[in-house]
Amino acid sequence: MNFSGCVRIIFGMRVAQTPAIALPATLLAVAPARAAPVQTEHLAIELVAERTALVPGTDALLGVRLQHEPHWHTYWINPGDSGLETRLQWKLPPGFAAGSIEWPAPRRLAAGELTNFGYVDEIVLPVRIAVPADARPGGTARLGVVANWLVCEDTCIPGKATLELELPILADSAPDDRWQALFDHARAARPIASGWRGEARVSGGLVEITLAGAGLPADGELDLFPVQGQVLEAARPEFERDGERLVVHAQKSIYFANAPERLDLVLTAGVGESLRAWRASVPLIVGPEPASH
Amino acid sequence: MKLMLASGAALLAALSFPAPSRAAVAVGSPAPDFTATDSKGKTHSLGEFKGKTVVLEWNNPECPFVGKHYGSGNMQKQQADAAAAGVVWLTVNSAAKGKQGYVDGPAADAYVQKTGAKPSAYLLDREGIVGKLYGARTTPHMYVIDGQGTLRYMGGIDSVPSTDPDDLKGATQYVRQALTEISSGKPVSVPTSQPYGCGVKYGS
Repeated sequence: MNFSGCVRIIFGMRVAQTPAIALPATLLAVAPARAAPVQTEHLAIELVAERTALVPGTDALLGVRLQHEPHWHTYWINPGDSGLETRLQWKLPPGFAAGSIEWPAPRRLAAGELTNFGYVDEIVLPVRIAVPADARPGGTARLGVVANWLVCEDTCIPGKATLELELPILADSAPDDRWQALFDHARAARPIASGWRGEARVSGGLVEITLAGAGLPADGELDLFPVQGQVLEAARPEFERDGERLVVHAQKSIYFANAPERLDLVLTAGVGESLRAWRASVPLIVGPEPASH
Repeated sequence: MKLMLASGAALLAALSFPAPSRAAVAVGSPAPDFTATDSKGKTHSLGEFKGKTVVLEWNNPECPFVGKHYGSGNMQKQQADAAAAGVVWLTVNSAAKGKQGYVDGPAADAYVQKTGAKPSAYLLDREGIVGKLYGARTTPHMYVIDGQGTLRYMGGIDSVPSTDPDDLKGATQYVRQALTEISSGKPVSVPTSQPYGCGVKYGS
């Protein structure tokens, strides 16, 4: 039994880095089929699974593994001032269903005047796949995904690849040792539900976000990322502890429009191995501050 | 105490959060004047176009987002339609020398010719002065200024951020929409949108 799975590229896309005067054409090139991972420009990509088999009636944790060349990055769900989030379109056997990307907390990436939210080095973007209860043990299932991404250093290159992974359907499964550390990192960086209360109040060119509740991190090495664009500037906000509350002073996006009723946020504390991440959703209140409250 | 804290915090906020380093042009406000040299060595200022609607388009010939709109002909078509309607279209390149997308005059002219672009002028902003004045972040990044010199639109070229020309089908072309509305005396229905594209390659 082949537990290692099989990933192959069906087609890839690259954009030619042309001399300055050349017509910037988006070229669709057919890349040869090859073994995993698929090496594209500045990024290696493959579809991996946390465990060695699919178990009927359970969720399997798959992931798109991204290996960035040094100094190159791809983007979070909100890419910040420029860039584009990685997008996945699944091609699954009947009865299988894919969840959305369980985005790990991003890194803040400075690019000259701009700020981006994304990933560097090696990461996995996890996605839960529901395996139908009537999947037949003893068989195999071929899971496919079309990934679209933008990989940037100073310059940017869009990429696209179709990835496949064939896994056995069995009554039980075991961890695939190759990917445990990678999935553990993604789990640790996945924002957990905080249950914090609060609000985001827009006043002039600023947005003041207050958060209160159990488990708020202490000051220090805090960062905050808005899930929606066009609400906050991407530049790093400032944090202030006011008693039990955490107050975040952010600049309002100069492209502020279509304000959502609630602003979804990811708050992080620490970096690297000690990174912790929470998600919160607060009502977005637009308008002048009341005379008293 | 609570109130004092609150007002203290507000004062602190006002003092300790300087205006964004990037320019704060705003829709509904006068568009700042500028002077820049085009690919043929001719100097232009925004002021000389008073009475006409002006489009500013930030360009980097090598950026794949720009490639989407030129490779498909979308940008050139909008430029030609704008010219036919008496609208001034200024393509601006703020890439610094040595950065991706930098062009000199002949290279800019060759690009315009090769793509069949129809700008009124291709401005060379290698110092990034106009780009930073307007807070241009991406290529493309679009601005529409009316005949009174008021900024009426800033943001993306359209509503679907991607590098895929297939996405043009379902996209709202915000600049085209703004020009149509301005020419018929209407308010611009979408005056801002999130600009999308490559970062502008400013010098340090």
